[in-house]
Amino acid sequence: MEPRSKAYQQAAGALPARLRREALSLSASDQGRVEELRLRAGWPMTARLPEGEVPLDSPPVRPEELDQLVEIASRASVHAVLDQVRQGYLTVEGGHRIGLCGTAALRDGEIHTLRRLSSANLRIARQVMGVSAPVLDGLCPGGVLTDTLILSPPGLGKTTLLRDIIRRVSEGEGCRPRRVALADERGEVAALYHGIPQLEVGRRTDVVEGCPKAQGLMLLLRAMGPQVLAADEITAPEDVAALRTAAGCGVTLLATAHGADRTDLERRPVYRALLEERLFRKLVRIRPEGPGRAYTIEELS
Amino acid sequence: MVKLMGAVLVAAGCGWLGFQGAEGLRRRVRALRDMAGGLLLLERELELGAPPLPGLMDGLSARACGPAKALFEGCRAGLERLSEEPFALLWRRLTQEQSSLGEEGRGALLPLGEVLGRYDSQAQLESVSAARRQLEELAARCEAEGRRQGRVYQALGLCSGVFLVILLL
Repeated sequence: MEPRSKAYQQAAGALPARLRREALSLSASDQGRVEELRLRAGWPMTARLPEGEVPLDSPPVRPEELDQLVEIASRASVHAVLDQVRQGYLTVEGGHRIGLCGTAALRDGEIHTLRRLSSANLRIARQVMGVSAPVLDGLCPGGVLTDTLILSPPGLGKTTLLRDIIRRVSEGEGCRPRRVALADERGEVAALYHGIPQLEVGRRTDVVEGCPKAQGLMLLLRAMGPQVLAADEITAPEDVAALRTAAGCGVTLLATAHGADRTDLERRPVYRALLEERLFRKLVRIRPEGPGRAYTIEELS
Repeated sequence: MVKLMGAVLVAAGCGWLGFQGAEGLRRRVRALRDMAGGLLLLERELELGAPPLPGLMDGLSARACGPAKALFEGCRAGLERLSEEPFALLWRRLTQEQSSLGEEGRGALLPLGEVLGRYDSQAQLESVSAARRQLEELAARCEAEGRRQGRVYQALGLCSGVFLVILLL
């Protein structure tokens, strides 16, 4: 079976029986192209394909089916994944992610859980092996990864590129192997499930998931003695402070940020600090090019 | 000689029925106690944290006994088929299979199917604790009843045996 269809079928396993049958009624070629399945109470399930969202020929999704989706995804253990539910998502086996919407139950002004679910989207996790091949040589002068920031607008594959660089550096594919520590706040890079990364991040990679990036980075720095410290989506001054501390310890930094280009970075105070303090030496920009992506490496120092 | 043997068999048979009635009450008390013991284990596990239900049921089925063991084992297996049978229905079905607990005992367990795995550990703990107390009270009540009625059953069995023998002779 084609790996893309296999990932789809694994993800569909999280759906209640009726919805799963409908999801699996798609042709094999479409199954390989589906990026997300969207479930909205009162409407038929839809599949998001590269060309757009298409409804499946099926009766509307019932609210109790959304509850059942959460039950299956959490293996009837919502209490064990409440931290994820509070953030509006759930990771299932295979690294597939279920985004949730509904009525928030608040406690002390914070979201305690989500009740009466109204919609969900099941994002199919697919790893693109070797996507970092065009940039790796440029990022590893002398065979050792240098401090690298990956920059692109949302949806262009920052996380995919980050994951593949981590995997190759950790495995020593095309560069010298390094111990990598990954602060995976939302579980999008390694997608831990029962402690096992569902997406390949390499044998020398240690992952901390579910805690704020800055705290995760400091924990990894103290506990795991990393040679490379990686994080997805640097957004807050605390993240920059943690990276600054790590840089002072001689650790190589690898991170991603939202933005179109260097000017975009310089405009925003959080990222300006990164540039001024020269925490990163290389900047990888991603831009769409035809059906694929083009990568540009810039020197930052 | 045959008459005598027949009379002994009739008397023994009726006596056995009476003793079985008394033993049935004792069995129910044992089943209720085992179930309450299983729920106590569940409470202890929930106090330690928030383990996912499959692992929890796995561990409990190895340590519990009697109907609690059967219930936890059934849950463990059923958790692999959640898309076919939601946990609340699974729990209801398995609970209803526990005939040794009696209707009231099963009634104490039923609400747990709507709580286990659904709410935070504290809320689950409170519900499990309430069900356990209910089972313990029921077991104590059944035990007292059993002491009283058990003797009645035994006496009734023996007396009806003797009565039948007299009638038949």
